[in-house]
Formats: sequence, C-alpha cells, structure tokens
Amino acid sequence: MLKVRGVHKSYGPVKALNGVDLDVGRGEIVALLGPNGAGKSTLVSVIAGLHRPDRGGVWLNGVDTGTHPDLARRQLGLAPQETGIYPTLTVLDNLRFFGELAGLRKRDLLRRIDEVAAAFSLGDLLDRRARNLSGGEARRLHTAMIVLHRPPLLLLDEVTAGVDVQTRNQLLDLVGSLAEQGSAVVYSTHYLHEIEALGAQRVAILLEGRVVTAGSIPDLIGAFGDSFVELKFEQRPTGLDLPPGTVVVAENVLRVPAEDSPAVTAADLVGRLDRSGAPLREIRLLQPSLESVFLSVTAGAANGGPP
Amino acid sequence: MSLRRIAAIARQDLRILRTDPMAVVPLIVLPLVVMPFLQPAFRAAFHFAGLHRATGAEQVVPGMAITFGFFLVMNTCSSFFREHTWQTWDRLRASPAGTAEILLGKVVTPLVEVTLQFLLLFGFAGLLMDLHVRGSWLGLCAVGCAFAVFLVTTGVALTGVCRTYMQANAAVATGALVTGGFAGALVPFALLPPWAQSVAPLVPSYWAMQGYKHAIFGGKTVLVPILLLLGFSLISTVVAACRFRLDDPKIGPT
Repeated sequence: MLKVRGVHKSYGPVKALNGVDLDVGRGEIVALLGPNGAGKSTLVSVIAGLHRPDRGGVWLNGVDTGTHPDLARRQLGLAPQETGIYPTLTVLDNLRFFGELAGLRKRDLLRRIDEVAAAFSLGDLLDRRARNLSGGEARRLHTAMIVLHRPPLLLLDEVTAGVDVQTRNQLLDLVGSLAEQGSAVVYSTHYLHEIEALGAQRVAILLEGRVVTAGSIPDLIGAFGDSFVELKFEQRPTGLDLPPGTVVVAENVLRVPAEDSPAVTAADLVGRLDRSGAPLREIRLLQPSLESVFLSVTAGAANGGPP
Repeated sequence: MSLRRIAAIARQDLRILRTDPMAVVPLIVLPLVVMPFLQPAFRAAFHFAGLHRATGAEQVVPGMAITFGFFLVMNTCSSFFREHTWQTWDRLRASPAGTAEILLGKVVTPLVEVTLQFLLLFGFAGLLMDLHVRGSWLGLCAVGCAFAVFLVTTGVALTGVCRTYMQANAAVATGALVTGGFAGALVPFALLPPWAQSVAPLVPSYWAMQGYKHAIFGGKTVLVPILLLLGFSLISTVVAACRFRLDDPKIGPT
C-alpha cells in the first residue's frame, strides 16, 4: 500500500530525513517511534505530500506522490499533530467539508457523517460549534474528519497528544478497527504503551532522520530487549564506580545494563552506591519491553554503534 | 480539476463568513454610512467646477466603492491566513483538493462579497442619492468586474508576499488610503496637487475611478480603464505565481 524509498529531506543545514525506507501493507499498523526531532512528523508530511523530498520517492498503491500528487492524496487521510478544525463552524460542517472534498455526496455523505459521528461519539455534538468542544471532543473531531471517505492509508501524527485516558483509549480502539477494515495505518507517537495497546504489527524506530530498526514488537524485544536498572538520584552523582555500558539519561538519572537478571544487578548496584554515599532517590528494574528496546536502540545509535 | 471540490471550498468559506459577517462591514457598511455625509461636499465641489447637474453621488459612490473595496484584498488574504491559525491549512493541502482547486475555491467568497458591495452601494445611491448613470450600466458593471479581479488577484499575491497577517493588514490599510487618494476617490481628481495627478495613472484605483466616471457621465469609453485594470491584475497574478507557495509557513491572526 505504502512504499517509501530513500527519502531525504533537509531544511537548510538540518537533515530532517536521511534516507528513509518504509513499507506498510493493507490493514497493517506501523508505528513510527522516535524522540522529538527524530523526523517522524517530517516523514508523515512527506508521505502526505505536504513537503517534497529532496531525494527518494513515495508510492501509494503504486501511485508516485511526486508525479501524481492529486491521485495520491485521494488515497490518504492525514490527522496532523496540531488539532486542525474550523472553530466557528459546527461539528457537522467540519465533517461535511472534508467529506465533500473527498467526493462524498448527498445521501452517502450524510450516512457516512452519521456513522463516523457515532463511532467517534460525536453524534450528540453535531450542531455544536467546534470552538465550544472540550479538548478531547475536538481531538476526536480532528481525527474523525479524515476517515469519512475510508482512505486506504491513514497518517496519524500523535493524535492522542493532550487527551484524557478515555479519549486516548477510544481513539486507539477506533484506529485498530479502521485497520481491521483494511486501512493501512502509519501511527506516529512517542508514547510506547500506545503502540502495544494499538496492536501495531510493526514498529519503525527513527533517529536523526533515519529508520534505525524496524520489526514486530516480539522480534524487536528478542533482538534488542535488554534489561536495565535505572537509578535516579537527588542530584547529579559524582565519583561512582558503575559497570561499562551505563548510560546517562538525564543529569540525575543513570541506566545500567543488567547482564544477569535486573534484580541481581540492582543488588550489586545498591552495594556500590552504599559505599559511594551517592544520594539515591529511586531505583527501577526495567524488564525487556518496547521501552527497553527503544532505549537500547537509541543509546546504541547515539553512541555511533549499530542499534 | 473538480468543480465539486472548488464549490466545496467556496461553500466552506461562505459558511465561515455567515458565522462571522463582520468581515464585510468595512467593505459594505462603512461606505454606506460615509457616503451620505460626503455627498454634499462633493456636490458643492462639482457646482464650483461648473457641473451644475451633478449631485455629488457621481464622485462619492465610486470613490467609496474603490477606497473601501480595497479591504477585499484583506478578506482574500484572511481566507488563507486563518487556515494557518486554525491549523487547517495542511489538512486542506493533504485533502484531494489540488492547488488550483484550493485557489479558485478561495477566491469565490471575496468575489461574492465585492459583488454584494457593488450592488448595494450603486443600488442604494441610485435609489436614495440621485445617482444617474448617463453612460452605461453595463460599462459600470464591467469596470466593477475588472476592479474585482484586480482586488482578488492582489489579495492572493499579497498573501504570497507577506509572512504574517499583520504585514498584510498594514499593507492593505496603507494601500486603501494611498491608492484611494491618488485615484481621486477621496477628493476630486482636479483638486489633487499636480505631482499627485502625474503619479495617479500608475495606480490601479485611478483607472477604476476613471472607468466608473466614464460609465456614469458617459461620452468616453470604459475599455481603456478595463484593459489597464486587467493588466494590473496580470501583474498581481505573476507576483502570486512567483511568490505564493502552499508550503510557506504563515502566521495568521491570533
């Protein structure tokens, strides 16, 4: 459904994308994961045709977005990071506009608006002006606007940012059901638990404008899912004797790879810290998970080594 | 290109205008309010110049239509800038609507606004201010259309040139008064200083004013003013083509 090949994109001296390859099949959910500035939103923008890549190409159902952007845009729905709705218009008018742009007419349009409004719990809000919606309602409308025409590809860029738990769960359920109905989904986020909750078939981890690794969650955990012990101090610790591979996560947070079990490593570390007198505030045992994969991959790539 | 998508964008902007019609106040309401106040002064000026049959409406109506019509440039700019404020611009660009469809859809509402302005101002003046068109109503409409095309293309060009809504706003406010002054829309052209009279033909509003006067007083063709207004529109179109980029970041009204 979606094929991205060798995409480069720079903004002045900043290389936002540095040779990205990505494939997403019909009905597949691919999560884009990466820290801020990794290039997730830029990649979504390039796929959506908002920015032209400097090099490389994007194909949707075999249609080259560079040479046939109009044809390509008919096959996608984009929900950008920022909530984009017409605040002075009603929920109905917001939905109607994007339905009309997608080519829906009269009875079909009204039927789809009813269906989508029901799915996104907007049915009772159709006559309400968008500016009077709560944050969660606005976010639901923001996402609902792109699914009216059942696009084969959904691009969702941090759609759950700033919403409450109920709305987040509802949006994740809806994205999952859209994929079950056959839409390919590219879901950009930095909430790791969302990816697991979403049941994403594959995860692509972006760092400094390139996909450093991609695969299913079990595969990634198998390959990179190390255990860690995370130490949080009252203040920046000094003069510590810690094992090799320890990563400084923040000024007062260190992450130590657990060669054996995290519990054994933690016991060893507590002994060492006792001797140093460093003011420890919190200790966390991190079992192999998507989070530990992410930490391993990003730390490995940041240190110049293979992920 | 899809007429349906163009119509959808036009309808959306008309819905927005309906929910917040204040955008047409400077365009229509202000000139309607100002015209009756200025008419006696212009009537006196015409009488002083020996035009004893003139009612003053021949000057004040086209003058105000041109001066306040310039705010249509702002309304055109606003229809783009507000999409940036509302974060809907990228959504629109990622929709099936292409560039030409977006641009054409976006200029429909300003054209409806200026048509309303023309009908209301000249209709009001014809009914209540003794405006007598001795030349041709058709010519008057043709000049109105040519000026409308100039205003809308200038709006798109200005959107391309300006980064922020405030820049566009300042340019339009300045442009409305300065070009209105040079055109003889604020005071009769004969009373302008000689240097201003010699500069005036470089200003599009001057040709709009000339066109309206030729149509109202009769005796002269409106073809030259119309062609020159279309020429200015072409310049604006070229500027728009060179400077209007869909992916330019803009800072809209807050």
